[in-house]
Amino acid sequence: MRRRFGSVRAVDGVDLSLLPGEIHALVGENGAGKSTLAAIAYGAVRADEGTVDATGFVGLVHQHFKLIERLRVWENVLLNREPRRGWTIDVAAARARVRALGERYGLDIDPDAVVETLPVGIKQRVELLRELDREPAVLLLDEPTAALAPSEIASFFATVQGLAARGTAVLVVTHKLTEVIAYSQRVTVMRAGKVVARHLTSETGIDQIAREMVGGDVPALAARATTVATPLLDVRGLSATSGTSELLDATFAVGAGEIVGIAGIEGNGQSALADALAGLVPFAGSADFAGRPLRADDTPAARLALGIRVIPQDRRSEALVLDWNVRDNVVLGRQRSLAPAQYGAAAREVIERFDVRPPNADAIVDQLSGGNQQKLVVGRMLAGAPRLVVAYQPTRGIDIGAAALVQSRLIEARNAGAGVLLISFELDEIFACADRVLVIAGGRFVGAFERADIDRGRIGTLMAGHR
Amino acid sequence: MNATLAAVLAVLGLTLVKATPLIYAALGGVLSERSGVVNIGLEGILIAGAFTSVAVSGATGNPILGALAGVVAGALVAAILAFVATRLGVDQIVAGTGLNIAALAAAAFGLVLIYHQPGASHEVPAFGKGGEATLIVLAFVMTAALQFVLARTPWGLRVRACGEDPGAAESAGIDALATRFWAVVAGGAIAALGGVYLSLAELDLYSDGMTAGRGFIALAAVIFGRWTPLGATGAALFFGFFAALQYTLQRAGVPSELMQALPYLAALVALAGLAGRVRAPAADGVPFLRS
Amino acid sequence: MSAVLRTRTARDLIVVIVVVFGVGSIAMLLAHVSPLIGFGALFDGAFGTKSEVAETLVQATNLLFPALGIAVAFRAGLFNIGAEGQLLLGGFAAGWVGAQFPLPGYLAIPMVLTAGTLAGGAWGAIPGFLRARFGANEVIATLMLNVVAMLLATFLVTGPLQQGGGGASETATLPKAAQLPDLIADSRLTWAFIIALVLAFVLRWVLQRTVFGYELRAAGDAPLAAKRAGIDLGRTAFVAMALSGAIAGLGGATLVSGVLHRFNIGLSPGYGFIAIAVALVGNLDPLWIIVASIAFGMLQSGGIAMQAEAGVPREVVSLVTGLVIIALAGRRVMASRRTT
Repeated sequence: MRRRFGSVRAVDGVDLSLLPGEIHALVGENGAGKSTLAAIAYGAVRADEGTVDATGFVGLVHQHFKLIERLRVWENVLLNREPRRGWTIDVAAARARVRALGERYGLDIDPDAVVETLPVGIKQRVELLRELDREPAVLLLDEPTAALAPSEIASFFATVQGLAARGTAVLVVTHKLTEVIAYSQRVTVMRAGKVVARHLTSETGIDQIAREMVGGDVPALAARATTVATPLLDVRGLSATSGTSELLDATFAVGAGEIVGIAGIEGNGQSALADALAGLVPFAGSADFAGRPLRADDTPAARLALGIRVIPQDRRSEALVLDWNVRDNVVLGRQRSLAPAQYGAAAREVIERFDVRPPNADAIVDQLSGGNQQKLVVGRMLAGAPRLVVAYQPTRGIDIGAAALVQSRLIEARNAGAGVLLISFELDEIFACADRVLVIAGGRFVGAFERADIDRGRIGTLMAGHR
Repeated sequence: MNATLAAVLAVLGLTLVKATPLIYAALGGVLSERSGVVNIGLEGILIAGAFTSVAVSGATGNPILGALAGVVAGALVAAILAFVATRLGVDQIVAGTGLNIAALAAAAFGLVLIYHQPGASHEVPAFGKGGEATLIVLAFVMTAALQFVLARTPWGLRVRACGEDPGAAESAGIDALATRFWAVVAGGAIAALGGVYLSLAELDLYSDGMTAGRGFIALAAVIFGRWTPLGATGAALFFGFFAALQYTLQRAGVPSELMQALPYLAALVALAGLAGRVRAPAADGVPFLRS
Repeated sequence: MSAVLRTRTARDLIVVIVVVFGVGSIAMLLAHVSPLIGFGALFDGAFGTKSEVAETLVQATNLLFPALGIAVAFRAGLFNIGAEGQLLLGGFAAGWVGAQFPLPGYLAIPMVLTAGTLAGGAWGAIPGFLRARFGANEVIATLMLNVVAMLLATFLVTGPLQQGGGGASETATLPKAAQLPDLIADSRLTWAFIIALVLAFVLRWVLQRTVFGYELRAAGDAPLAAKRAGIDLGRTAFVAMALSGAIAGLGGATLVSGVLHRFNIGLSPGYGFIAIAVALVGNLDPLWIIVASIAFGMLQSGGIAMQAEAGVPREVVSLVTGLVIIALAGRRVMASRRTT
């Protein structure tokens, strides 16, 4: 099976077969082609070459749910297959059917709830029920536990095991190796669009799979210089709301010359924190920066002027003007402090230091790969010696080489005296870079660890909201 | 006392007359926008309905045939917008604006071609009081019907799904582009009845510019009514009331231009007051492009 | 320009030509006129004699001002459909002020043009303010204000600000000092054309080479990224709409000062709407808009001749213009910014 997106071979000559009743893990780094393969198997995307054969219906639970937020649970589950009574929908029958479905699979749900009011774990149930109602022979799960707390993960896989026991073939697309080892029977490893290994799970381990996922050596990170952190950002009782993300009563400090990592599951207040520091949303409580209090109603311009840079989560919609060239994108954020004659030099500096390819200031940014786009964004944020850098998922969806470069530059910025707040959903990234680790769960800070005391298990427990 | 009562009744009656074309146009707008397509071209659809119904009524001598022709014309004009919006994914507001300009020009062109005079058509067989009342009642019947269809029928659910998240709708097997297309066309057919009312019920001819921006007031009614049929009709009645007041207040010495401006100013105030506090269908105005 | 944009431009131009000649021919046939004769009369009427060329440029000037204004708004991500009303009020302000306060030439013309610019700017600032402060949709706001502008101008010119006797629906004739001098003698072409050309070059420079232009384009092309980069979206929207209205108002002022020498309610045959097509055909680039305005100016002036000589109703031109707008609606697929 082959599929191209533009000049990228997303899936290149892949063969994959699933047996009934098995839980099969498909692993790979971000961008390895796993999600594309799942989409092809489901039928949402068409392969350029190759075939898909299945004995029955193929269901897909997407990583980012395909639910219609403003409709009700039963409307989502039974969309386009509603029970009818003459010309109209038989609403009572629809509700009953959803309730019965939930009971059958042990997934409690209120059919009348409007989806956008539900917490993430429950929304996933709705998505799952939608596929289950069609009695799938094959069920594809794309990064199903990305937004779940560790305790929810256990009950989720219990459900999955129940399904497998009934004969459904389950494919779990994931990059979480601990879950692969714990729950799957077979593993297929993908890298850069190709299958590089297949194993029986019982015959392999995390280290081997990780090496196969990553391929060659991971580029080394920049060395960590010894610095003494001096006070920079002092936050007390900070509360903020940004969209659906809520931060409650946060108290922490970031020093100049240290990297503070914020570990947490997606959707636990990180966006509210980042947006409050960026000046996009107001906050309650107090925040002192370099000795002086931050105004709660500051604009982004005011925060930029203080030397605070926030690398946003979604580069395409929040950081880049895709139709513009590299030079104009590098200037974004500094358009008032740089003279037009200096734009060229600024662009060259970022291109060189961050290895942006192609190294052409006139290239249109939309044509760059995700890794190069992210390097551009991080490059421009770190230019001009910022005092505080808030890096929110700085290596999301980019290749290993680019990720290592970005992380190295963040460490170098720290060495040079900047304070770095690293917000990430990937614990490995935090452990690689941070001097201190804070844990966020349910909008609150629930734990703090020095680098020497990092305890992966304990951090995971705290992230789940347990004490 | 009798005089006051008579005056009040007159204003209420006039409110219904003024509101009815707005109701039809607004219902058409609601249906279109709930499926995710902004229809700025309502004005052009009103024009198409008004002109075609007059032309056909004049040619056949039968206003009912004229009305049917007007409905078809509205559907066809809407189909143009529906096509470029769904199949080509263009900017819906720009396309709707072009549609309005083209429709007005086409009608003016038609006036010269058919009646050999610019500005207005001849008088044609039109609806009497009975027909006019039927159209008014029909507007309210359609409001209830559309409300029910959107809430309780499979097609209505598909329409709402496409307006919120066409990608999700497609993954459930719905053809989002086709659903949007037919919603816009059906909306055009309904809106055209507003034009029919203007030309064959309130008057008995077509004149250049007779729609006078009602299509745009209808858009404001859609927003004011929170994209529901009942709400839009309520808003249309509200705006119609202001239009009806015009005559009463004019006799009280208020300048006529200020009175004529009232519905538009009311729409402006509504827009400012409501903006940010009401939510359009999530995918409204966003072209859906299949990858 | 990237390769993708270039082919789109070529394809779009082909579509425009097909629409203009295709639909135009069909309409002419319906009017029992051969397209050859019809288009012949059109082009001949546009360029046949020197005075006809001058008239084409007059029409081009009348379109160039509002088109530039609309383009500025478009670049900021806003849709100004209110150019017609802004143009109207600009013309009214110019005509009334010029007739009311006679001044020597070197003061009169700047005063008149400034009055028109300010009036148009104020009328554009209203929807700009509604958008910035309340997030109100500027499309509907400008549409409503078009109608209100017409009513307001009518009310003022026949009522409290009347300058003729007996409720005349126009202002008094402008004194010679307030009239823009002719560019070509014995024609209607005035220095307004030069002013418009200079304005186009200035706007292009502002958009491409100044911080203000950079921020305006960023707000239009990537509002979220712009906001995070410290750009005040509300203020940008307000300024863009006010500037857009001011440019359209200036157009109305030059129309009154140079061509008509007085304000009349019917001064614009829909320039503010045709200008939308001009802005789109010109791909929102001030320099290309100059070319597009001449093309549409040709349609406008040639259209009158086409009706007189070949008997093809002038409305064909408007019909074709509307269809061109639909055809080019893909030129500006704006990211979803609905705020209501």
